[in-house]
Amino acid sequence: MTERNILHIRDLDISLGTGDKILNGVDLAIAPGKILGVIGESGAGKSMIGSAIADTLPVGLAISRGSIEFDGLTLTDMTAKTRRDLLGRDIGFIPQEPMTALNPTLTIGQQVGRHLARIGIGSARKREQRAIELFTEVGLNRPGELLKNYTHQLSGGMLQRVLIAMAFASNPRLVIADEPTTALDVTVQLKVIDLIAKMREAHNTSVLFITHDLQLAAEVCDDVAVLYAGQIVERGEARSIINEPRHPYSRCLNLATPNLAGPKTRLMILPKAMPSPLERTAMAGCKFTPRCPIAGDLCIGTPPPLSEISAGHRSACHWPERTETITPPPLKADDENTVLGADLVMKATGLGKAYRQHDWLGRVRRVEALRGLDFEVREREFVGIVGESGSGKSTLTKLIVGLEDITAGVLDVVGMDRATTPRERFFDRVQLVFQDPQSALNPRRRIGSLVTQSLECRGSGLSASARKQLAKDLLAKVMLPPDMIDRFPDQLSGGQKQRVNIARALCSNPRLLIADEIVSGLDVSVQAQILELLRELRKQASFSLLLISHDLAVVRHICDRTLVMYRGEIVEQGPVEDIFTNPQHAYTKKLVAAARGNSGLYADATEQEAENEAF
Amino acid sequence: MRISFRLPDLSLLIGGSVAGLILLCALFAPWLAPYHPNDQELLYILAPPVWSADGSAEHLLGTDSLGRDTLSRLIYGARTAMTVAAAASFGAMILGAFFAHLAGYFGGWVDWIISRTVEVWLSFPPVVLSMLLIIGLGVGTDKVILAIVLVDWTRFCRVLRSEVQVVRGQDYVAFARLIGFSHARVIVKEILPATLPMLITLLSLQMGISVVVEAILSFVGMGVPSDVPAWGQMIADARIDMYDAPWGLALPIFAIFVTVLSFNLFGDGLRRTLDPRHTANRGA
Repeated sequence: MTERNILHIRDLDISLGTGDKILNGVDLAIAPGKILGVIGESGAGKSMIGSAIADTLPVGLAISRGSIEFDGLTLTDMTAKTRRDLLGRDIGFIPQEPMTALNPTLTIGQQVGRHLARIGIGSARKREQRAIELFTEVGLNRPGELLKNYTHQLSGGMLQRVLIAMAFASNPRLVIADEPTTALDVTVQLKVIDLIAKMREAHNTSVLFITHDLQLAAEVCDDVAVLYAGQIVERGEARSIINEPRHPYSRCLNLATPNLAGPKTRLMILPKAMPSPLERTAMAGCKFTPRCPIAGDLCIGTPPPLSEISAGHRSACHWPERTETITPPPLKADDENTVLGADLVMKATGLGKAYRQHDWLGRVRRVEALRGLDFEVREREFVGIVGESGSGKSTLTKLIVGLEDITAGVLDVVGMDRATTPRERFFDRVQLVFQDPQSALNPRRRIGSLVTQSLECRGSGLSASARKQLAKDLLAKVMLPPDMIDRFPDQLSGGQKQRVNIARALCSNPRLLIADEIVSGLDVSVQAQILELLRELRKQASFSLLLISHDLAVVRHICDRTLVMYRGEIVEQGPVEDIFTNPQHAYTKKLVAAARGNSGLYADATEQEAENEAF
Repeated sequence: MRISFRLPDLSLLIGGSVAGLILLCALFAPWLAPYHPNDQELLYILAPPVWSADGSAEHLLGTDSLGRDTLSRLIYGARTAMTVAAAASFGAMILGAFFAHLAGYFGGWVDWIISRTVEVWLSFPPVVLSMLLIIGLGVGTDKVILAIVLVDWTRFCRVLRSEVQVVRGQDYVAFARLIGFSHARVIVKEILPATLPMLITLLSLQMGISVVVEAILSFVGMGVPSDVPAWGQMIADARIDMYDAPWGLALPIFAIFVTVLSFNLFGDGLRRTLDPRHTANRGA
């Protein structure tokens, strides 16, 4: 029975020096040629599984119990040298960020050559031949030329293909893919997934696919294991876990993910956060109890075993049958009928932005980042902007907030011409919520001071106690406890920081709020909290929102209208439902198809064309 | 939240306490020194220190070729060294930090001019440059301080500029501009607090460097006036009799060594302690 498995992880514990467990009793097995997905939010310990196999655990962590068997060999008993020989040859890796995984000072050919030499191809000519073969196999055009290129000359999708080619070069029996698509654009993601699936079939390789994305896992994996707080809570066939989860956590994750099809619902909000390793040690029963909507007394004291509930489907819950009773909070009556104001908050006519680039000889080249944008945003309207990296989304934000100058057309913001009106008049009316709360909150200020920062430079006439009260009110608006005002940003979780970030932008009662990818770095459950918060705020406050996102489902969930941007132009705009159910422009069709996970809708030819333009 | 148990940094502790001791010597020199540093006792020329065979308890560390008490001169020398080190380092820090923040924050042509100036400045050998300045300015403690400031501000400017650039790239700086902070306010309120740890660390390292430069200038007779006791001067004076009275040479060298080492240790310790990556888990 066990002989059949390529990888068998038995009862694996990974602990900190203090004895607190990062992973607790993880049991996984992959049969030859299968893809096993490991799903979990940040902090669940999913990357630790890959690190444990590769022997690259961070300092301070060690395997304290259990074993990892690879093809009948026990990895955990091997000497470092034999284990290293196995890695890269019998076990391949596909990293999360292709841009940082390759050395920018060497050509692609040199790096692939080194890897091929390591797996035992002696002569340089054979190595080149093999590299060209591999590149053709992963669908890269002009492989011969590619070998002479440096990493910065290739797009992220192409680099990921190079890395996939390298991972499969030695016909490994196992490939570990740690979030291989997270850093890529939506339309590229799917191709990479398809490619991994195709390579898996061609080489009969098993794949350990680590991801936070439920939909992605559903598409690519045969089996799935859901990881929560270092333990596997549910394991089984991918489709059945995604569609009919038998563990409350899987079910909640599912309900917290905004979807592209079906009726609009409110998202499931999981209270509190995942317990830290320290807190887990103190918990006797099921680690999910404090957040579980169906937890009972039994859950607090007794940990549920990972027991089989139907053939091949295991769930660590005392009441797996109750899982279906979990439903998202119902839509409130006033949810859908927000009244839009009559006034325009923003109006762009023929808006454009061109940069002048100098090369080393001083020759000037004009690069048009934005061309002829026409759109408007009404009062209290939520508008989404979708498009992939390089489409000009961020340049547009910079124009609106005045960080860049307009070079063509007219941009009217809150009734004033952006180009001619002095900057000061916009300060209170337009606010930006930054993407990365880590970078947007000064780590040396306390939360209270951060939230009311915009009052600081103008004589607000508020006393210290009034400011404190205002800070507390703002925190209450974003559902944070008032005692948080004396803390530093470092002491907050990612989701909490993002809420402080939003509260801070609301301080001056802006009429237009611009949110630049504010949920993209967050976990599913935290994303749900922020999205529901925005919908809630919409009812009380009177501001318009411009939400920039690469995630169509997020835009659909909270926006009224959407603009689709492609290469500096708006290719399509209209009500969210219309755009997503009946896209007109070829690019929108592709985008919607990619988000739906339907790769058959577009031909492979267009994809190659788009990628090769990176040269 | 993980609780970190961190011992106070050892080099910070040792460096800081030794540097503090030297500073106390400098401050209370008139009360600590047994004799006036320039009092000559021609009967006791080149007396050995107390632990050698002919040593006497009257002059604990012996006397020099003019019969001046070595211990007293060392203590008063610390006063000169510390005055120069503190004043020159502060001066260099203020000048360097000012230009570094301008260059790093505004970028563009401001950065271009400041960076090129710094590069040209740095291409002069520092000691030669300070000697040239002394020739132009004349001898005197204040002139030595000015010379060191003019030579060493570039060191601050270069290191800090890149630090400022990093902080400037943070979104919170952009946010401060968006809510209407003036440039000066952004620099003082948002950027300076982030570069301050680096500034303090550099200051402490610069104190050590200033001590060495002052000693070199005094050694070649281009530092403080001859009636002000300085370690460099003591080395120069003892050089003639170095075979008969090696102690006269060794003691001021040892004083310089200990001072510079303590400042370097202190600076190293500060850098580690103030590093934001280590202070990520501070308590509320």
